[in-house]
Amino acid sequence: MSIEAVLAALEQAPAIAALRNSTYVYPLVNVLHVIGIALLFGAIVPLDLRLAGWRRGAGPVDPLARLLLPVAIFGLALAIATGLLLFATDARAYAESWLFRAKLVLIVAALLNALALRRIDWRSGDAARPRIARAGVASVLLWLGVIVVGRLIGYDLPPLG
Amino acid sequence: MRHISQVLAAVSLALLPAAPVVAHHGWAWATGEEFVLPGTVKSVRHGNPHGTMVLVTRSGSWTVEIGQPWRNQAAGLSPSVLKRGTKVVVHGHRSAKKGQRLMKAERIVIAGKSFNLYPDRPS
Repeated sequence: MSIEAVLAALEQAPAIAALRNSTYVYPLVNVLHVIGIALLFGAIVPLDLRLAGWRRGAGPVDPLARLLLPVAIFGLALAIATGLLLFATDARAYAESWLFRAKLVLIVAALLNALALRRIDWRSGDAARPRIARAGVASVLLWLGVIVVGRLIGYDLPPLG
Repeated sequence: MRHISQVLAAVSLALLPAAPVVAHHGWAWATGEEFVLPGTVKSVRHGNPHGTMVLVTRSGSWTVEIGQPWRNQAAGLSPSVLKRGTKVVVHGHRSAKKGQRLMKAERIVIAGKSFNLYPDRPS
């Protein structure tokens, strides 16, 4: 079965068809998607900025991460779950959209960046600082990129150039 | 890294104009003139966030935006009424962009019967 056939079958699944034609549920899923993004971005940006060296006087990273990471991860999970539903309602068109593909690439890059950050040995002290700072800045820029191309999918823009 | 807030502010500002320029919801992107387009439905997608159909017309292939599910339902435009092969006359507004074969429907006439998506708007 080709990918296109799989995506077409996904679109035709009864629950997905119901979502596509719903009056209230689709907008609600859309709202939850935005809330997920807001929680993720709103929690990760202050942490990233702190990693990048901004407001170092505000305190150590660890308690900040313990507060903000669960919120960011919850937001990410909510955004992914609702995003999969929204994708399914028009799967073939999204799969063909260059903006949607760019969004997926940026999400993967942002997640790899986050994983790389976790693998840095924090005990190495000042030596790791530039790497941590770069990862923090990259995180802000990548998630910002995800939001920008994500919002532009709906406008079906032709590729630049 | 002490200038991070300035960098962020600059990036956000640089990105700002990208959004509103291309907004195509509402009517602002279309001309104010009433536009009538007869044709045959080549393909139609009902459903959220709003429906779209491709019409084969004498002036080539046109994309016609229809309403979101509740609006189409209220107008009586169910998938069994508006489907591939249906002959339609679409009343609405065409894109203000020159040469772009795109319009937004206000009212669709099928076999002499009017299906009004926007009863409050003249069409």
